[in-house]
Amino acid sequence: MGTTATAYLTGFGSYLPGDPVDNDGIAARLGGTDAVSERIRRRILDANGIRQRHYALDEHGEPTALNEELAVAALTAALEDRGIAASDLRMLACATTMGDVLVPGFASMVHGRLGGGPMQLLSASGVCASSLAALDAAVSKIRLGDHPRAAVVGSELASRSLRQRRYDGIRAGMDSHFLRWMLSDGAGAVVVEFQPHPDRPSLRVDWVRHVSLAHEHDVCMRAGMDGIDPAVGATWQDVDLAEAEARGMFLLRQDVGVLDDLAGAGLAQFEELVDLGLVDVGHLDHVLCHYSTNAFRDLAFEGLRKRLPTLEADRWYSNLETRGNTGSASIFIALEEAWRTGRFAPGETILLAVPESGRFSFAFAHLTVVAPPARLAPSAPPAEQGEPV
Amino acid sequence: MTIDATTTAPDTAGGGVAILAERLAAVWADLDARLDRVPVLRALAEGTVTLDDYRRLLFNLRQQVVDGSPWIARAASNFDVDHFDLRSAAIRHAEEEHRDHLMLERDYVAIGGSLAELRTGRKNLGSEALSGYLFHYADRPNPAGLLGAMFVIEGLGANKAAGWASRFQEVLGLADNQVHFMQYHQEADGQHTGAMEAILYSGLIDDATADEIVRCAQVVARLYVLQLEELDR
Repeated sequence: MGTTATAYLTGFGSYLPGDPVDNDGIAARLGGTDAVSERIRRRILDANGIRQRHYALDEHGEPTALNEELAVAALTAALEDRGIAASDLRMLACATTMGDVLVPGFASMVHGRLGGGPMQLLSASGVCASSLAALDAAVSKIRLGDHPRAAVVGSELASRSLRQRRYDGIRAGMDSHFLRWMLSDGAGAVVVEFQPHPDRPSLRVDWVRHVSLAHEHDVCMRAGMDGIDPAVGATWQDVDLAEAEARGMFLLRQDVGVLDDLAGAGLAQFEELVDLGLVDVGHLDHVLCHYSTNAFRDLAFEGLRKRLPTLEADRWYSNLETRGNTGSASIFIALEEAWRTGRFAPGETILLAVPESGRFSFAFAHLTVVAPPARLAPSAPPAEQGEPV
Repeated sequence: MTIDATTTAPDTAGGGVAILAERLAAVWADLDARLDRVPVLRALAEGTVTLDDYRRLLFNLRQQVVDGSPWIARAASNFDVDHFDLRSAAIRHAEEEHRDHLMLERDYVAIGGSLAELRTGRKNLGSEALSGYLFHYADRPNPAGLLGAMFVIEGLGANKAAGWASRFQEVLGLADNQVHFMQYHQEADGQHTGAMEAILYSGLIDDATADEIVRCAQVVARLYVLQLEELDR
């Protein structure tokens, strides 16, 4: 069997555009000031527990950035954190739900803006779990020894499509309101290398798993079609754009009725990790779980506690309440903040968990905090040593 | 200096072809002992070698490896028809080796090195001496003594390189894709040494040629070690 290298996360960055927006500042940016929208918004915000978030929109709701710019800002922060340049990268894996343009791929646009040298690209599309799909690809290439250094970014700029102009005259039920008052903008990035950081701890990637259950579940979160079954001749690309808009195809929607099923399926996937021995219940120190709203936090926490009796609330980390739900960027934004604020110590293990409602996907990653390589005793470099005499 | 137990007295001319194998074995034993004292290889054995050491080693080797096929091809062109077997062997060998440096370059890039820098690199002192000697030797009519150079260089590939590769992997956590050059030579040079030994002991070599082979092996062994000692200089 061939020998592979090990992949380490050695740099972390995030970017959240503009000042934090509290719950009272949302309407100025996204609109929806009528009494009904107001009532729904309050109810949803009460449930999701998000107290502040960031939008790449000014106080009048006009865009202030491109999604690719958010991605580049997070990547730049991660590169700076690691102390390397874009020209040191040989691969860039980008995850987003929707890039700025339809064509070309998001990663091409991010690379074009980031600069650096020639590199392999991957645009992972999907929703929240595309973040770890991108990470998995980069980690795999590092392990194979194909590349020494890669960067991964999850980036979202959902806010512009959540503004009132999209909703005017369109029948929008809970399936669109739920996301409208939940999603916000941001980007998070990591640097992946085959060697640990030379002089500070790194996160070794033990494994990444990504599984879809789309074979037994209907579509849950979607845009671009009417209802949950795409039909020949009836997607947004088939009908007139005006008709597509009038039928509300450009609204992001989520079938909120199946979210409990999603949580249950996610917990079953977690149980499988334990049963397979991929998670050692006796030695799991931190859990960073992406969830869309606090409503699922307790459900997930209690579910994990069944198999992890030692899991205490202080080992459980999320910054949903203060950074918002940024989709595919969320897990990296949470990881960056947990890392930066010193939650992890060498030897500890971390589980990243990202359920994706799109059509029931689940991604997990297991990390171990490793200390920097031991400093060698001071000695002259080999070239300076003569032959023994 | 301390004399290693395996260090042998220099071979002097006149040993003849009858004991060629023993004479070359003595050259190898001396080379082996010197290699153990090369700083980068000592660090490798001790497990203190760094990724930068590996990068530097590849960088330095590349500048000479890129000359490998050309000097063999030049030697091939200087064998007359009375040495047709040696000409054939050299042509075949030159062809087999002429892409080797590309494998090394891929390893270098895979650990984060810059291909442009690697390709504009200069030979170190030892590589200059080794390459200069080999090209000079290859210019002679019927340079059969170069079989001694083959004995050393192919021997290093067949007997040493793969061990270095797995030790670098062990110490630095490298993937197979990052040590291709050294791994590959275990197999390829094993075949080459087999072909070369067939010639060395075929009865085609006379006493005078045997002396040339041994002398060339001694010089190449010393210069190869010099190349490993003089990294970046």
